[in-house]
Amino acid sequence: MALDLFRPLKNLYKIVKQNGGVTGSLYKLFRQDELKWGELVGEDKFGNKYYKNDYYFYGRNRWVEYNDKVWLDYDGSQVCPEWYGWLHYKTDYLPHEDPGRPVYPWMQAHTQNLSGTRQQYIPYTTTKPKIEAWVPPSKK
Amino acid sequence: MGSRQAAVKAGWKQAKPLISVSDRDCRTRALQLYKAWYRAFPEILRIQDLPVNLKQCREKLREEFHKNKNVTDLRVKDLLIVKGQQELQEFSKFWSQKSHMMMRFKETHNPQPQDFLSKFFSGHK
Amino acid sequence: MLRLPFSRGLPCVRVVWSAAVRGTASNPAPEKIEVFVDDKSVLVDPGTTVLQAAAMVGVEIPRFCYHERLSVAGNCRMCLVEVEKSPKPVAACAMPVMKGWRIKTNSEMTRRAREGVMEFLLVNHPLDCPICDQGGECDLQDQSMAFGSDRSRFTDIHHSGKRAVEDKDIGPLVKTIMTRCIHCTRCIRFASEVAGVDDLGTTGRGSDMQVGTYIEKMFLSELSGNIIDLCPVGALTSKPYSFTARPWETRKTESIDVLDAVGSNIIVSTRTGEVLRILPRLNEDINEEWLADKARFAYDGLKRQRLMTPMMRNKDGELVVVDWEDALIATASALSHAQPDEIAGIAGGLVDAEALVALKDLLNRLGSENLVTETIFPMEGSGTDFRTNYLANSTIAGIEEADLVLLVGTNPRFEAPLYNSRIRKSYLHNEQNVALLGPKINLTYDYEHLGDSASDLKKLVDGSHPFSAKLKAAKRPLIVLGSQQLARSDGAAILSHVQQLAKKLSSSAEPDWKILNVLHSNASQVAALDLGYKAGTAEIRQKPLKVVYLLGADEGTISPNDLASGGVVIYQGHHGDVGASMADIVLPGAAYTEKQGTYVNTEGRAQQTLVAVTPPGLAREDWKIIRALSELAGYKLPYDTLFEIRDRLDDIAPHLTRHGEVEEASFLDQSVELSKNIASSFDSSPIDVKQKHLEDFFMTDAISRASPTMAKCVQAVLKQKQSKYYEGEV
Repeated sequence: MALDLFRPLKNLYKIVKQNGGVTGSLYKLFRQDELKWGELVGEDKFGNKYYKNDYYFYGRNRWVEYNDKVWLDYDGSQVCPEWYGWLHYKTDYLPHEDPGRPVYPWMQAHTQNLSGTRQQYIPYTTTKPKIEAWVPPSKK
Repeated sequence: MGSRQAAVKAGWKQAKPLISVSDRDCRTRALQLYKAWYRAFPEILRIQDLPVNLKQCREKLREEFHKNKNVTDLRVKDLLIVKGQQELQEFSKFWSQKSHMMMRFKETHNPQPQDFLSKFFSGHK
Repeated sequence: MLRLPFSRGLPCVRVVWSAAVRGTASNPAPEKIEVFVDDKSVLVDPGTTVLQAAAMVGVEIPRFCYHERLSVAGNCRMCLVEVEKSPKPVAACAMPVMKGWRIKTNSEMTRRAREGVMEFLLVNHPLDCPICDQGGECDLQDQSMAFGSDRSRFTDIHHSGKRAVEDKDIGPLVKTIMTRCIHCTRCIRFASEVAGVDDLGTTGRGSDMQVGTYIEKMFLSELSGNIIDLCPVGALTSKPYSFTARPWETRKTESIDVLDAVGSNIIVSTRTGEVLRILPRLNEDINEEWLADKARFAYDGLKRQRLMTPMMRNKDGELVVVDWEDALIATASALSHAQPDEIAGIAGGLVDAEALVALKDLLNRLGSENLVTETIFPMEGSGTDFRTNYLANSTIAGIEEADLVLLVGTNPRFEAPLYNSRIRKSYLHNEQNVALLGPKINLTYDYEHLGDSASDLKKLVDGSHPFSAKLKAAKRPLIVLGSQQLARSDGAAILSHVQQLAKKLSSSAEPDWKILNVLHSNASQVAALDLGYKAGTAEIRQKPLKVVYLLGADEGTISPNDLASGGVVIYQGHHGDVGASMADIVLPGAAYTEKQGTYVNTEGRAQQTLVAVTPPGLAREDWKIIRALSELAGYKLPYDTLFEIRDRLDDIAPHLTRHGEVEEASFLDQSVELSKNIASSFDSSPIDVKQKHLEDFFMTDAISRASPTMAKCVQAVLKQKQSKYYEGEV
């Protein structure tokens, strides 16, 4: 097969087209430093979109584009557990295809890692202080 | 008390300097040391990964020499020169490492409280 | 009068006792006899035991039951040694030496005897050292290492088990694991001889022998903690300290107890900035090796109700936490806005001399002379000008030399338990007689009760009282006046009569024998009076006070109502108690385990506490707070370090820096002269003491009131009183 000299250009065209033209591409490039083209395989409940393109090398052929609402505050922990396995090549099943996925009523809804936000968990000591301070009697 | 001081003073006069014979001699040595350091810095910076540049090093060198500008005793001066030479050797042969050099560049730290009230407010001192 | 239990009065034992007790060497010295310990010659008095003779040449014979301060029991057999030409080994603790004896403490026979005894002890001793609180300070552990056999013949092939004994509940302080008991009977002897509570004893014999209280009752004594120290094994351990720490993990600080006026020497064990326990420290002149339960167990009060941050009242009248800067500036402005005479300083009972002198210097610089202690002392006559008026002049150790003790309105058993144990010791062994003017109480020894009328003092002075003849006949009489009586409205008359009585008796007593003793109830009173504080708040309450500086004053002798309107109460101390509750500004100070402070005990002996732990939170050493305050108030005190303030103490009263020594006072004649003008009318109310029963003993000051252990003790005593086996006073 002859070397397709125009393949890079074709790919660029595909990418630009898929990402919504020149402005859309520049927007995505700014937001996620990378432009790819691929097949949209699904979207999770947080609005993150999952793509697949085997044209790219293994390890780069599945990716997530985070919900536009989070703008630059996207984080790996925003990927919900249903998609986590597929995205990290633990399984090739997409969430809705997976036969063995357990669902129990006690399972908690997924939250992203809240460290550094106001909702973060702050540990507190449960041991009694060695020395108890005097609490002044209240007038009330 | 007085006699003791006098005795010490007499001892000073009698003790002869071991290295420099005169102030002039000593000054020459100090200048030599300064120049040696000045010239050694590019090499020190080359072999050590220091987060400072040549200019900062030479300013620090100047500062270190100025620290001792009030020293008048010839033997003390000689001692300082010897120590400076030792240190130069340590750095140029990489016996002293990055942290030893960067100790000289430490920012000034908050001094410990000295008077009673600040000690009282700052803690159990 | 039969003073010792009958079994203790056996002749051979008495011989040992009289040799061991102080002050009985008045007979002409008998001829010394020569004995040889391990071929070393030593000359000893007749009646000396083998064990004592060996100790003289530095040979320590192992022992379990023998204790220097208790009678000899001779039942553990650990001290068996070989004596040449004797067919059997002899028990060194009980056997008086004979002339020319050759004692072999390291011979084959001696070693085999020890190994045998050890083996028998261990046959029925549980191997629970890893969970035993005595581990690391256990005599049995140590001596089985040093003198036991290097291998065991103990094979329990039938799994019949070792002897097991049921544990006893003898109160909230002492934990018993009676299976560990080796029947040394030290606790029994301590209880009956020193504590004077004949509650412990043995039942059964042979391997059925048990140490206990016969019936289910608690061992309730103000000295009960000492049996923990005495127990050579882990049978009696401290309940509050159980499973807390091992002795090698703790840091020991030598200090002084301040919960009574005796000033017992203590060792404070700490770890990770926490006081874990308090043990007595040997001081023959004060506490020997005993310690009162309050001093030993009230340390958990140091961890509760503490003032850890400065506090100020906000406009709603609530105390809120503030910075040191804010609190001190508010205090300084309150002080500087008041007229000098509107400022007063009141010192409480747990304050060290450094803080006292700093407060006095500050208030004097502000122009105020209103410096008083909470505890009242009559200021009529010579008042507190002469130290002899307010000291226990004959010292604590001096009690043992007295032949007659007259207690006036005091219950030393609960005001100063170790003072009382000295009297009991002399009562038992020195034929001392005791009389009491005051309410009928149980002092653990017999005494002649002279009624509770204060006017009897007058009769005693003029010699018309029936007891006067005995007083006059006494060569070394001693009068102990309780400080509580000085708070009565006729306190001055009581004091002056006691002084006159002392003066009168001094003519018939031995020369240089001090008679007058005042037994204080708190640790800081003597130092405060030495430094020139006046006693009692009655006088300053009359003044229009604007600012009152309470230095650890927690007895509630002054209330905010005594102040003019807009007055400020400043409380400096370590516990949230009465004083802090009524204060407008609270400055957190250090407790006695947290500062290096000088305390003077009731005999006038200056001693110092050492820092065992740092003060909690933002609390600071007391004199430093006042020093910092003085700078903000514009009257900077001229000392920055402990040495400088000690120099200042030295300027005022040099004895305050001579730690450990008693500074004698001898101006009785002059003070008697000055007290002659005092009106000698007595109240008709009978002489009474505050602490009559054991439950009154435990919670008397800010620290012990905050202590859960002390509260448990009070509950235990009250519960004991409900018991059907309870008989009379404890």
